[in-house]
Amino acid sequence: MSTNANSGPAPVLPPPLLNRGAVGWAHDNLFSSWHNSVLTVVSAVLVVVGLWWGLRWVLVDADWTVISTLGGFLAMGEYNTEKACAGQNCFWRPQVSVMLVMVLVGMAWGIAQGGTARKIAIVATVALVAFAFLPYSFERMGMDVRLLLAANIPAVGVGWALGKYTRLGSIRGVALSGIAVFVLILLLLRGIPGIPGLEPVSVIYWGGMMLNLLLAVVGIVLSLPIGIALALGRRSRLPVVKALCVAFIEVFRGVPLITLLFMSSVLVPLAFPEDFPLNRLFRAGIIITLFSAAYMAENVRGGLQALHPGQAEAGRALGLPSWQTMTFISLPQAIRNVIPAIVGQFISLFKDTTLVTIIGMLDILEFGRAFIQSYTVGGEVIYLDRQEELFIFIALCFWVFTYGMSYVSRKVEKHLGVGER
Amino acid sequence: MRNAITSRLNSLTYKGIPVWRHAQVIQWTVQIVSGVIVVALVAWFFTNIGNAISDRDIPFGFSFLSREYQTPIGQHFLPYESSDSFLYALVVGATNTIFVSIIGVILATALGIFIGVSRLSGNWLVSKIALVYIEFFRNVPLLVQLFFWFYIVLALPTVRESYSLGDIVYLNNAGLYIPMVTGNGVAQGFVWMVSAVLAFAVGYLVHKLRARREEQTGSTSYPVMSGIGATILVGLVGWFVITAINGGFPLTITTPEAQGTFGRFLRGDGFELSGGIMALLIGLVMYTASFIAEIVRAGIQSVGKGQTEASRSLGLSAMGTIREVTFPQALRVIVPPTISQYLNLTKNSSLAAAIGYTDLTNVAKTMTQTAPALSIFVLIMAAYLAMSLTYSLIGNIYNRRISF
Repeated sequence: MSTNANSGPAPVLPPPLLNRGAVGWAHDNLFSSWHNSVLTVVSAVLVVVGLWWGLRWVLVDADWTVISTLGGFLAMGEYNTEKACAGQNCFWRPQVSVMLVMVLVGMAWGIAQGGTARKIAIVATVALVAFAFLPYSFERMGMDVRLLLAANIPAVGVGWALGKYTRLGSIRGVALSGIAVFVLILLLLRGIPGIPGLEPVSVIYWGGMMLNLLLAVVGIVLSLPIGIALALGRRSRLPVVKALCVAFIEVFRGVPLITLLFMSSVLVPLAFPEDFPLNRLFRAGIIITLFSAAYMAENVRGGLQALHPGQAEAGRALGLPSWQTMTFISLPQAIRNVIPAIVGQFISLFKDTTLVTIIGMLDILEFGRAFIQSYTVGGEVIYLDRQEELFIFIALCFWVFTYGMSYVSRKVEKHLGVGER
Repeated sequence: MRNAITSRLNSLTYKGIPVWRHAQVIQWTVQIVSGVIVVALVAWFFTNIGNAISDRDIPFGFSFLSREYQTPIGQHFLPYESSDSFLYALVVGATNTIFVSIIGVILATALGIFIGVSRLSGNWLVSKIALVYIEFFRNVPLLVQLFFWFYIVLALPTVRESYSLGDIVYLNNAGLYIPMVTGNGVAQGFVWMVSAVLAFAVGYLVHKLRARREEQTGSTSYPVMSGIGATILVGLVGWFVITAINGGFPLTITTPEAQGTFGRFLRGDGFELSGGIMALLIGLVMYTASFIAEIVRAGIQSVGKGQTEASRSLGLSAMGTIREVTFPQALRVIVPPTISQYLNLTKNSSLAAAIGYTDLTNVAKTMTQTAPALSIFVLIMAAYLAMSLTYSLIGNIYNRRISF
């Protein structure tokens, strides 16, 4: 009819400039309306000013020598001092412990064949080895320390090979190796009398980040089973068991951890006979574990309550006894559904390990503070006004671990399909 | 041999069922055994405690409560002398905890909602700033943050070189000094309060009436605006009436003043927030706000997109959609976990002990040096349990109101 019919389809024009590429993205996400543009400009100014101010402080004004002077003390407290392990070198014991953990991480990588486990293994190894190359005076961080840090590369490699090519390469294998590694680490850190180089180091000298991590690991490993037991007890039909569990949970959840820690330092020594072997570390560990278990119980209980009763009924109808229904049907689903809450509790337990500061234990925070108050050069306390550096460094140390934990949790949730089924 | 034992065991029956397979027998055994174990443990602890305190001179019991405490308490909002009793000192400590909790809860809610909404902003930059805030403050131990803020507060200039804002607000390393409003005497203060309450009541009534009219007739009646207007109007009338009757200003605004030689001391009738309390408030608010922000974000995201679309297609404005459709539904998800965050904030305020603010735990800790620790522990446990029960009560009332 018209001549247009012969000239073929109209040429395909590219989308307008405002809708494509970087310009389009900026238009959609930053300047979609006038008030959005104002918001963007204001926050951009804030970010630039903040970054400028922050970077200048980090690079120019801050004196990071307080961190390098503290160095290994932040990592292990008084562990490697003369009074803790007289006449021997102890720095290698925590370092070998780290290597053992890296073997485990390598095993996870070897089993998972990539993905999150590989990412974690690589990032952790690079971070540890990077410490070996810190421009740092050699008297403070000798070649032996650096070599042991670099040895984390073969450690991960060995773990990877074990995970990939041996019979340890299964979930059960990793779990058993985890227990073995934990016992080995405790033996290594505590020492064995009579073996030269492995003379015992009293636990009262365990400190620094090592103390925070140990308390957190023990707390995490023990609080989950105790919490599950308490949750089951609270849902039990047996009135005495139920009342005991409710009382325990409510008391521990109702009172701040710090109050419990204070009272443990005052009351617990009274509550046990004088010669009872219960030092500060055990007391703190027990209180933190029980406190966390009470919260864990409520998380697990939430998961059990959210589970459709049809699941347990189906289990019973198939002829499973009630404990098998609970172990194989209800609990796995309940725990899967509350993984975010459980990991959140792990994270807050790890953060709460700093509270041992209040009862005078030398964890990373308290050791740093005590050090700043007492470190003198030529009779002068030189780092008294360098506390921001210390606190920001400690904050970053914790942040790395807690962020890592929530990252892994997100991946696990995705893998298990939390909230999808 | 083995068969003999088995048959002997099998003959141990209760109502015809072997005892180890009889549900009731098992249940009772479990209960009795666990009960006995717990009772035995507690009895053992108490025997040990009894032995230990009989060696010392501290009497067990609650008689110490009426004794004079004779220890100073740093900052306090109730009048306190060292000649006051232990019990009153505990009340002062609890008031300090409650004060910090209330201010902290209000500020953390405001900041948390602001950041949570920013996190959902369509503006990429704003959303990412909120993300960085949340991920940082949530993942760093509160105690580290408190030490940091306390150090920053202590690094402020000295009293002599205070920052001051128009000579009525002072900020220095001893604390923050702000003006305070007080009534001129009890009677006039009371009159003022009555008229303020009256103004709000009238405003609320007007708001309700206009809202009902809007609902019934469909004509625009500006319920919020007219309510606020009525409040201001009644308030102003009351103000002038009281001023006329009094023959003077009904309220006094007291300000802090630089006094002493060369303005070295800062005193006056203003309100003083000590450095410890400031650091505690900043730390608690910024930490808790990061959790509340995540709750708010999850709550708003939990409202289906269809709700917003339906509301918009019915002709509600963007603001109206948020106010009338999205927010009320999001609140159902937001409020219960937020209340548990309030409880966390209250309990976390006990970290005040680390930065020298005399809250309940700190007072109790000092008391254990001169009074029986077990009694004090029982008392503060009861106090904290009462606080958490109050929060759960509020939460339960709210839950009952919103349930379908």
